[in-house]
Amino acid sequence: MFDKILIANRGEIALRVIRACKDLGIRTLAVYSEPDHDSLHVQAADEAICIGPGPSPQSYLKIDRIISAAEVGDVDAIHPGYGFLSESAHFAEVCQSCNIRFIGPSPDSIRRMGDKSLARENARKAGVPIPPGSDGPVQTEQEAIKAAKKIGYPVMIKAVAGGGGKGMRPAHNDVSLVKGFLAARMEAEKAFGNPEVYLEKFIEDPHHIEFQILGDKRGKIVHLGERDCSIQRRHQKLLEEAPSPLIDNDLRKKMGRAAIKLAEAVHYENAGTMEFLVDGNGNYYFLEMNTRIQVEHPVTEEVYGIDLVKEQIKIAAGERIPSEFENLRPQRHAIEFRINAEDPAMDFRPCPGTISLYYPPGGIGIRMDSHMYGGYSIPPFYDSMIGKLIAVGPDRATAIARMQRALDETIIRGVKTTIPLGQRIVRDQDFRRGKYSTHFLERFFEKKVQNSS
Amino acid sequence: MDIKEIKAVIDLMRKNSLTEFEYEKDGTKIRIRRGPDGEPQVFASSPSLIPAPAVLPIATGLPLSTPTPAPAAVAPAVAQEKLPSINSPMVGTFYSSPAPDAPAYVDVGTVVNAETVVCIIEAMKVMNEIKAEMSGTITEILAENGKPVEFGKPLFRIKPA
Repeated sequence: MFDKILIANRGEIALRVIRACKDLGIRTLAVYSEPDHDSLHVQAADEAICIGPGPSPQSYLKIDRIISAAEVGDVDAIHPGYGFLSESAHFAEVCQSCNIRFIGPSPDSIRRMGDKSLARENARKAGVPIPPGSDGPVQTEQEAIKAAKKIGYPVMIKAVAGGGGKGMRPAHNDVSLVKGFLAARMEAEKAFGNPEVYLEKFIEDPHHIEFQILGDKRGKIVHLGERDCSIQRRHQKLLEEAPSPLIDNDLRKKMGRAAIKLAEAVHYENAGTMEFLVDGNGNYYFLEMNTRIQVEHPVTEEVYGIDLVKEQIKIAAGERIPSEFENLRPQRHAIEFRINAEDPAMDFRPCPGTISLYYPPGGIGIRMDSHMYGGYSIPPFYDSMIGKLIAVGPDRATAIARMQRALDETIIRGVKTTIPLGQRIVRDQDFRRGKYSTHFLERFFEKKVQNSS
Repeated sequence: MDIKEIKAVIDLMRKNSLTEFEYEKDGTKIRIRRGPDGEPQVFASSPSLIPAPAVLPIATGLPLSTPTPAPAAVAPAVAQEKLPSINSPMVGTFYSSPAPDAPAYVDVGTVVNAETVVCIIEAMKVMNEIKAEMSGTITEILAENGKPVEFGKPLFRIKPA
């Protein structure tokens, strides 16, 4: 087992990793930027080294300084957390060449699954369903119609040079396809300088379902069930839950097997997550893979009673995945709400500032993963997430009730937070019935506007 | 007097039907009087003895200790003088001379300009020559030869020219 680990991250995940290290009796070295000097993860670590000024490219992304700190601190391994360098194959390679264990997958796995189109290709080869699409751009209306027939309506016309949700329009039949095809080409030319478009299956009202997988050095891969992350605002997750209200045991088995198959195909090691889109008919399509621990890992931990960060460290140290981890069934229900220092009334504008009063929620079934404390000043250089509130219960209704209680109890003064939004979501009838898709939040905001007018 | 002693006094007063007790020692005075309903009231002149119940206070900061300084210290440098310092631009090990038996690059009193090499910081087996980046006279050497330094650590205090 490792003697000392460097945590190449900050905020709540750095604290999370430090806690797992403490549980394992491993000494910790935190690296931090100048504005993070008073941050909780720096205080909680055994040792700390400053690696640069506020902006991430000059601190948390500076591979040379992090490696220097690792050498100066004589660490055995580095945990990269999520974001920052966690999916940098180059960083993983540098660690390898400096004889420091990177707590995560191999640089090769990161490359093969981190590249979106390579990942889709690997999925296709492994027999895992991907959203059907035209193989490349369609040049004429006739081609478009042929491709659409093959894919099956409804389809999405997407600009080849587009991205971030831009340059897409749906088509439900040949007539709207032809009209849309011509209009999309014109738009794409204007917006991106490239008129080329391709077609993809339009998955209506999808759920974003992701599967947690773990792989050890012996090639054993297990899955730890799914998380439903459909509640998103502009493609940013706000609330996650496990198990998904949409997934029954059969679908869980099928998708779990697909996730394992794909991970095996790339000889994946350590923790990872396979993301899928699932429609209302039980059809699932592979989207992409995240080759790291995820923000929302606590819901899986609470449902299965497993410490995922500890498992990451143990796997990296050469330990086997216990056989008890295979074919687990969810025993409890967990929901996580991300608390961001943002002002919902001002279009979720980030609100860095000083927390004058912080009272975290507690009681049965409540877990708060946060680096907040009374008097803490949130620096403006990083993302606005200041904590994750997790509620657990024997069933979904209890988890929701506890989440509601906990959100109502929490006091954070000095900055605006997204807690009021969370309070409204857990009281929403559709959410409580488990009836939601990735369009939930847009419709939720529309409802609000209608109700207030 | 501590809480145990006060409780003992109150007990004694009850048992013996006493109404008032006063005690003074080393500037601390305490008076215990049995109120109209027989219950003792305690008056203390040194405020720390019986603190009033506190409303949830606005916290001023986390009272955890700063990280232990081995091997790289975090303790913020206390500027004894208002003179500027030459700070470390990287993480590594500080060396004051180009080789173990060679004389130091600079000493207290050395006059430097922007291009003067003042020390070496070794990072990942690479010896990096650190320049003064300003003109002036070295007044203090703040880093220890052979010891690790972090980004921003003041290495030398310099009196600008």
